[in-house]
Formats: sequence, structure tokens, C-alpha cells
Amino acid sequence: MLTEKNIYKPVMAKLTEVIEESPLIKTFVLIPEKEFSFRTGQFIELSVDGIGEAPFTPSSSPLITEKLEVTVMKTGYVTEHMHKLKPGINMGIRGPFGRGYPVEMFYGKEVLILGGGCGLAPIRSLLYALEGVKDKLKKVILCYGSKTPADCIYKPLFDRLNKTEKFEAYRTVDRADEEWDGSVGVVTTLLNKIKITIDESVAIVCGPPVMMKFGTIRLLEMGYKDEQIYLSMEKNMSCGLGKCGHCMMGEFFVCKDGPVFTYNELKGTPDIWK
Amino acid sequence: MKVTRDVLKKIRFFDNYTEKQLDIIAKLSNIKEFRVKQVLFEQYDELSDISVLLEGTLSMGISLAGEKRIHLGTIEEGQLFSWSAVFSPFISTAWVMSVTPAKILSIDAKKLNKEIEKDCDFGLKTMSKIAQTISHRLGDTRFQLMNQLTL
Repeated sequence: MLTEKNIYKPVMAKLTEVIEESPLIKTFVLIPEKEFSFRTGQFIELSVDGIGEAPFTPSSSPLITEKLEVTVMKTGYVTEHMHKLKPGINMGIRGPFGRGYPVEMFYGKEVLILGGGCGLAPIRSLLYALEGVKDKLKKVILCYGSKTPADCIYKPLFDRLNKTEKFEAYRTVDRADEEWDGSVGVVTTLLNKIKITIDESVAIVCGPPVMMKFGTIRLLEMGYKDEQIYLSMEKNMSCGLGKCGHCMMGEFFVCKDGPVFTYNELKGTPDIWK
Repeated sequence: MKVTRDVLKKIRFFDNYTEKQLDIIAKLSNIKEFRVKQVLFEQYDELSDISVLLEGTLSMGISLAGEKRIHLGTIEEGQLFSWSAVFSPFISTAWVMSVTPAKILSIDAKKLNKEIEKDCDFGLKTMSKIAQTISHRLGDTRFQLMNQLTL
């Protein structure tokens, strides 16, 4: 049976700007040839002709459909080539795929976001979405950790959030340099300084696997229930359709059933922190 | 500034203590102030007080064989530190220095240990809270170590 939309055919998008966020991370600003909408937390497959395709969660606002921003960390073959791209070329976008953040479930609550490294990319998109509904939220607290001050991405975001009503943003680094006068330590140390009403809040964790694991453990120690913790599992998504099995985690296809899960859904699943 | 029960009530660390227990801690405590970049104590110093940061920010770290200081973490307001003062051999495992002007609540550890021995409920509460601080430090250190190993 023929379907209206060919899910394997990418929407073409022009790369209009490349922003260097850190030595290993760049943000690509894309203008799709037609409006492209997604739900925050959903991911896309981004391709470069002759190189390949890789999954990314957009870092831009889901409220903007004519422009898409994707933040890419140089980690392998495709991303290394992407980092060499200059504005003007065309890229392909497939998707959006999977299950994003259930923002409506956060209404009336305090939202605690724990992010690490490049995990701030999907979180930035979420923050834009939450800013759009801030009247329906009690407050939003972002705790973010990077390895060094130079590795911190979206630096202006923190000042902006701290000037936004109901938003608080904190940063820490694992290793300080001479100029850094902020917090030092892993991201969980920031949880010592925040004030949150756990019964009336949800927690969101997004970052490298080590950070996801220790972050979740600390949230559970603080008194969060399994179903109050949302995890964005950035696995090796490939087809985006739950067919190829590259992203399988226990009974779940991360690309189709996730990438956003509650800890309650994943608890007991083998290798969730790998 | 005199330490009173009301001063202690404002500190998260003392949640769940009874008024009588807060009075005991108040009697053993005093408030100390530090300028910017003042060393509160060095690694391997013998400690007599267990402390809670009331105002400001402190940094904590280790020194290797007298080499330059390695900054491992930040102590934020409301956090307990210098817990080594309560346990034999009462030797600090890290140095602590003020990043900003800082005010700390300092509790006489020897006298605190005597109160812990006298009152089981007080002792359990205090030791549980100290253990939680140490557990978090250990968890954070493992996290830091895993971060290094997965670079």
C-alpha cells in the first residue's frame, strides 16, 4: 500500500550558519525547504550527501517551524565530516521520530533539569518549550555540568534564564581553569544548593551515560519517585522506525518508544547506562 | 554573633532536630568569619571543629606532595564540612579555602561526640547526617572518576 509520506525521503534544508559552541561542539542552523515541526525531545536523522546520516535531537525551539538548529558533537565519521561543513550546502532531515517530553504533564509543577556535556542540546529545546508555557509551571531549575569551562555550551543561555521569571540556572565544571570562579564538582553537587519541593516536581536528566546514572541515583536519594524522573536516552538510533534494532534496550526500541522515558519504565532494563 | 536555636533552625542540616537538641548544638557552636581566599585549614591538619557553611562559597581540594592545590569541589551554603573532626584520627582529608567572604558555624567536635554518646536519638540523627554527607562526597568522587575514565 502506498502511503502519503515516504518516511525514508529526507526534507532538504539549507545550512545557513555554523556556530562553534566549544572545541568539539558546533551548532548547525538549517532552513528546511518546507516547514518542519517537532515535539521537544523528539529526534531527527540528519544527513550529508555522500557521507551518511546520524540521529540528533534538535536544540532549537519546537515553536519555530521555519528554522531548525542541531548541535553536533564531533564523535565519529559522520559528525567529523559535519564539522567541516560550511554554510550554503544542503543537508537532509528525516523525522521527527520517537516520543518527546510530555510537557503538558509538567503543568502545575516544579521542573528540575539535570544536564551534562552535549546533553544541553535537547535540554535547550525543552527550555524554549517550557518558556512558552511558563505561566503553567511553578518554576524551572537547570543544573548543568561540563568537564571544563571551555566545554560549556550556550554560555549566554544561563544569564538569560537567570533573568527570566520562574527560571534558575546553575553551572559547574569538573575541572576549573584560572579564570573560573564558579562551582567546581560534578553536576550532582549543584543539587546541594537548590530549593525544590520534591512532591510537586518532576526531574529530567539528559547527558552522558555516567552522568545519567549518577544523576538518577542522587534524585532517588533525594526522594524522587521512579515515575517523577524523565530520562532522555540518546542511544544508537538508526532507522527511527523500530525496525533495524540498533537502538534496542531490553524490550524497547529507543527510536520509537523513546528517546524520552520515565525511570519507572526503564528500571530493571539491562544496560540502560551503557 | 551568638548561636541560638533560631539560628540553627534556618540551616537545612539541622532539619528534624528537636528544640532541646538544637539548644545543645547551639551551646557547642560559634560563628567564624573569613576573608576572601583565606585558608580555613590545610589537608592533614588536626581538626577540632565540624562546620556548616552559613554564607559565601568555599573551595575544597587536595595537595599532592606540597605541589599546587588541586581544586576538587565547591562547598555551598548549608553544606557540612570538616567532618573528620568527629572521627579518629581527626585529621583533615582535604584543604578548604574561602572563595568569597564566608561565615561558618563551627561546632566543637569533642563536645559534640560526648553529646552523641549521651543521647542515642541525637547521636543517630547526627551520625546519619554526617554519613549522608560522606556518602554524597564518595558518590561524587566516583562520578568524577568515571568521567575521567570515560574521556
